[in-house]
Amino acid sequence: MAENKPISVDKTVLELYEKAKKDGVNTVFDRAMDMKPCPIGAEGSCCKNCAMGPCRVPLPKKEGGEQKVGLCGATAATIAARNFIRMIAGGASAHSDHGRGVAETFLLAAKGEIPNYRVRDTQKLYQLAMDMGIEIEGREDKDIAVELGEKALAEFGRQTGHISLLEKAPEKRKDIWKKEGVMPRGVDREIVEIMHRTHMGVDQDYKSLLKQGTRAAIGDGWGGSMLATDLQDILFGVPVPVISEANLGVLKKDEVNIIVHGHEPLLSEMIVLASHDPELLSLAKSKGANGINLSGMCCTANEVLMRHGIPISGNFLQQEFAIVTGAVDAMVVDVQCIMQSLVSVASCYHTKIITTNPKADITGATRIEFHEHDALNSAKKIVRSAIENFKNRKGEVVIPNHKSKMIAGFSHETINYLLGGSFRASYKPLNDNIINGRIRGIAGVVGCNNARTTHDSHHLILIKELIKNDVIVLTTGCSAITAAKEGLLTPEAAYEYAGPGLREVCETVGIPPVLHMGSCVDNSRILMAATAVVKDGGLGNDISDLPAAGAAPEWMSEKAISIGHYFVVSGVYTVFSGSETFPVFGSKDVTKYLFEEMQETYGGMWDFTSDPMEMAKKMIAHIDKKRKALGLDKARERVLFDMEARRELV
Amino acid sequence: MADKQIERKDFAGRTVKILGETYDPGSPECIGCGEDIGWRSHFKTREEKIKYIKSAERYWYSKDWFGSEKRK
Repeated sequence: MAENKPISVDKTVLELYEKAKKDGVNTVFDRAMDMKPCPIGAEGSCCKNCAMGPCRVPLPKKEGGEQKVGLCGATAATIAARNFIRMIAGGASAHSDHGRGVAETFLLAAKGEIPNYRVRDTQKLYQLAMDMGIEIEGREDKDIAVELGEKALAEFGRQTGHISLLEKAPEKRKDIWKKEGVMPRGVDREIVEIMHRTHMGVDQDYKSLLKQGTRAAIGDGWGGSMLATDLQDILFGVPVPVISEANLGVLKKDEVNIIVHGHEPLLSEMIVLASHDPELLSLAKSKGANGINLSGMCCTANEVLMRHGIPISGNFLQQEFAIVTGAVDAMVVDVQCIMQSLVSVASCYHTKIITTNPKADITGATRIEFHEHDALNSAKKIVRSAIENFKNRKGEVVIPNHKSKMIAGFSHETINYLLGGSFRASYKPLNDNIINGRIRGIAGVVGCNNARTTHDSHHLILIKELIKNDVIVLTTGCSAITAAKEGLLTPEAAYEYAGPGLREVCETVGIPPVLHMGSCVDNSRILMAATAVVKDGGLGNDISDLPAAGAAPEWMSEKAISIGHYFVVSGVYTVFSGSETFPVFGSKDVTKYLFEEMQETYGGMWDFTSDPMEMAKKMIAHIDKKRKALGLDKARERVLFDMEARRELV
Repeated sequence: MADKQIERKDFAGRTVKILGETYDPGSPECIGCGEDIGWRSHFKTREEKIKYIKSAERYWYSKDWFGSEKRK
């Protein structure tokens, strides 16, 4: 965070930052001011893969100056590429290990071995079974589900061939992947191969290294992440439109506040059930609370929002501030994007930080390990612990009076349904409106918050500029939460912010100009929506032909790099922002490859800017370039045919 | 969704039955999900579900639909 920049554009954060200072709490923004990022590491120019180093090989200060190499002779390009694909490995691991956990639970549920989970959405069961080549005719749902669970679990460790869900991609995209030799095997294998190739003295050609990163990224987006989304949909339901609210104003002073924070829905789904348990509700009353108020943070929030309409208390950079309210009785965390600082912030208040996942503990936190075999009882134990903590509130409780209404639940299946209903569900109306110019293009705006930039500012500037220019926005993750807090996830937002064409479409269909598609593993839903648009016709033969672009305006995590890369190699022009630099800028060769040459091979490429308005301009320019290539850049005269004119056509 | 009839007064003050809202409620009233709420609940039997998948999700599941890719 630069000292002259505000920390956030979110009033709740600004208000609670003052309270944190008064309470003597050190926050992420304070630490960002105290500690500057290492400039050499930030550009990917530091190799610490062996004990001869760490070797720092920054770009020469003067043009033509000597370019350093590592002790082993590794060039800046090799080092930057190694670091970059290790980031992909980290991100793909997070998504895919999440997916594997869901697959394991799914298989147990299919076999009837865990009482609290079952197949909730058989329609999606049939869909995924057909995707995986499973016969459904004349078979019981249970048999189909068991075979699906076994096949899904085997996909992660697939040793030969390629993962099944790649077959859902457009034909031209598959041809590109085959030609380039990047059709991935199981994501586990591709990630292990990244770790091998980047070990000291193995793969030392930056393009070869990046190709392996491409395999793992595709294995994430079209494999691990997609399986996580699809299996969760079967277990918990395909999201449909739901009304809810977002921001710290959803907390309630007179109720037991529980925040579920992290990424996986396996536990949070059970906490939703437990929070409605009559026995626990009466226990809460007996402790002086008027009820149990459940809300979500980060992508766990998105999961329970999309399927239940549970309100969202905030995104990544609000996790500490939720505790600063003094109103949170328990913050229940599982995996990913959970700051270790939560424990020290909570020590100033009464909040219990409860770690639950076997893979993730935090020193000083309360541990209530969650097991699928006894899921609801685990969840009840957690909720009971929060209720017991209600009486321990101390100091002033300050809940900012800010929250916004929203509509979420736009799975790609729901968008398809909304555009035509039971008998005419179709992406055709979207394509037609892109062709006729009412909608200029499609943007995926996703990703994190980053304390190195003003919280939420880049998301909002970018999204508002895009919809003002008639670009419909598909959003996930913390970006979606930002949009929700600003009121952009309501149909009414189209009147206030959207250009006339997009506004007309939103008005006709009754949708917001910004569609919330889920958590960060649910970026696979955006891939599916883009594929459906391609397959419906009229906009080229591949995702790279579409007037579409992607962005992560405040990226922070390795997951964002994996997501960015699988979007790029799926044919999407993808722009990042939020950090002070990009982690390959230490090598001109790697930068040129990712930011220029990839477009020739994959039809998509990376880009970076620190200015969100510039980001919008770049995305719109790309969309216009694609419109021109499709012949959609000029308004065509409308010709009304009478019967005589029609006869002449025959 | 079944048609819902509601009662209203006409200009003469008589009570008449008219068609109520034909859209789905936007917010779930239960904590259920999947087949319990929203448009997914329109399809009850396996036949209805498969029929919908093959027509609506034809991009991946229809055997006789020829999209832009197959026309080439």
